Amino acid sequence: MSALAALTLLSLKLNFRNRMAILYGYLFPLIFLVAFWALYRNDPVPLALHIGQLLTITVLGGACFGLPTTIVAERERGVWRRYRLLPARLWVFIVSVLAARLVLLVSAALLQLALGFAFGMPWPAHAGALTIGFLFTAFAFMGLGMTIAMLVDNVPAVQALGQCIFLPMLILGGVAVQLESLPLWAQHVSVFFPGRYAVEVLQRAFTGAGLGGSFFDLLALALTGLAGAIAAAGMFRWDRSFAPNKAWLAVAFGMWLVVGAAAELRGQVAISRSADTQPVGTSRDYAPGAKSTADWHAVTEADFETIAFDRLPSDQGIIAPVSRSDAAPDPAIVPLLDRIRDGLPGWAPGNVADPVQRTRNLLAVAAVPDILEMEQVERFVPRLVFARLQAVIPPQDLPKILYWIAMHPDAGDDAAIHQLDDLGLPDVSGATKPVHARIMIYAFKLLGRLTGKIPPI
Amino acid sequence: MTSVLAVHGLQRRYGAVTAVDGISFEVGAGEVFGLLGPNGAGKTTTLESILGLVRPDAGRIEIEGDADPARARAKIGAVLQATGLADKITPREALTVFGAFYSAPLAPQMLLERFGLTEKAHAAFDTLSGGQKQRLALALAFAGNPRLLLLDEPTTGLDPRMRREVQDHIAAIRQERRAVLLATHDMAEAERLCDRIAVIAQGRIVATGAPRELIAASGAATLEDMILKQTARA
Repeated sequence: MSALAALTLLSLKLNFRNRMAILYGYLFPLIFLVAFWALYRNDPVPLALHIGQLLTITVLGGACFGLPTTIVAERERGVWRRYRLLPARLWVFIVSVLAARLVLLVSAALLQLALGFAFGMPWPAHAGALTIGFLFTAFAFMGLGMTIAMLVDNVPAVQALGQCIFLPMLILGGVAVQLESLPLWAQHVSVFFPGRYAVEVLQRAFTGAGLGGSFFDLLALALTGLAGAIAAAGMFRWDRSFAPNKAWLAVAFGMWLVVGAAAELRGQVAISRSADTQPVGTSRDYAPGAKSTADWHAVTEADFETIAFDRLPSDQGIIAPVSRSDAAPDPAIVPLLDRIRDGLPGWAPGNVADPVQRTRNLLAVAAVPDILEMEQVERFVPRLVFARLQAVIPPQDLPKILYWIAMHPDAGDDAAIHQLDDLGLPDVSGATKPVHARIMIYAFKLLGRLTGKIPPI
Repeated sequence: MTSVLAVHGLQRRYGAVTAVDGISFEVGAGEVFGLLGPNGAGKTTTLESILGLVRPDAGRIEIEGDADPARARAKIGAVLQATGLADKITPREALTVFGAFYSAPLAPQMLLERFGLTEKAHAAFDTLSGGQKQRLALALAFAGNPRLLLLDEPTTGLDPRMRREVQDHIAAIRQERRAVLLATHDMAEAERLCDRIAVIAQGRIVATGAPRELIAASGAATLEDMILKQTARA
């Protein structure tokens, strides 16, 4: 066996004999996963929409805590001073440490994914992209871990410095707290933390478009890792008695600034969902000249002419979105969409006798994912609902009912909003007024399609 | 005597301080050569220069006639101060992994038997006694079947019984035609183990020879007295 392989194998064995390493390396990632599962248990797809965060936390912990802790502890004990006596070049020792760490990170991630699958998480949409994204993430954070390892003298200092990097990255860097939950200023801060790019590239690989659109994220991670590696090489020491040249830190952390500045220049820093919870107006905003009618039977085509369909939010926006007819849903959400489509015919609120309430209930199926900001899901459900409505409401009645609902969004019964779990969607708790507003918008949008006022796309 | 180690005019400065100032000596096969002198005399710098850990400012170091530091290190086994092993590594694992760095390593089992570590072959390093740890350090120095052994105060901190154990192992090396360079503060150890010694003071060799010859030549009663006399002059 080569020296490199023997040393790598030894590093792995020693890691598995260290209880704390097992705790931090394997148990903590699983605890995070269970915590996320409990926290987001109402997610339409268990854990899938948070796996980028979870995997990033796993890599961050293993590479920025585990890796430097191992190296610094060995250096404190004189292990590296002993290694130095061996007839081998430095890279053999460094590569063996990194190779062993990569094996540990991959195994921890696989364990985490396995538990996620047990909780019902779907398979990743792009396994190859996920692998590539994971390797880039590992490279970035191992570079950082090596920088920490060369900088500090003892294990407590690793923990202290690690926390100084770990916690801001978790809270402000979009790793533990989703970016869209952060205020705008924090989203601007997040671009200066590599954790954001890791989350984005991993999440896109799992539930998004794969590596498409991830070039900048991958570049950011590669540059972060490279800068960390250069800084670590500049500060390398076999023995703690040699003081590192801390000027090299400017290379490692300067790259964070460079990457962040580049992200700012590119734009697309802010991920704003705040508009999604803003009031979308009243029916009068969209039909200023509408006259009141006694009931839906009295609605005429002349009433449709009062609607300013061009005032409706764009189908491609974030308020009441509707997917293009030629858009393919991400494979990760296909099971949920199948469940909704297959479940709608048997869904009791969608079969109530009153056609207005029936329509209102079915529109709620589209409105709730929208109001809950279910990325990926929210724009595909409306098409399922529109198809169902056209199947269960007579064509001559449907435009009139939609108009009626749009003009009276707060009427009717809300019971259906609390029965969505039958379709695999979370129930809405609290005030339902925002849901009524989205029902109104979707009623207008379908009416526009039925009357030809909104061109089909 | 065939020379295994030859040091010619070795010089090393740290800023304004000259740690080693033109040291020259040779160590032959089957010889134990001692480096003695006060702290800071330049013993460790000399050893580190031979190992290639420190780049000399001047001078030449040859191992079996080869002056290439990278090739030389493959022929050297060393026990230096302040080196250690991971807490949970076992002696067998350490010997196996360290042996993997050499082209013709000695078998771990043979080394375990030789250094009395067979029963502890699978014990974690942090459970070994001080003597066992030092015997393992010696065994590791042998892992690559070296021609030259550099031992920097290998018995420091050991109790008398453990010290004697380690010294017995060093004495046995002489029979194998390997060369040993031993840096020590222990006069009894030097007298017992070393064929020749060099007394170093302020980076220079102030006396060289067999311990008894040096004692006799200096008129001192003991090796310690001789060294104190020699180093006081320097």
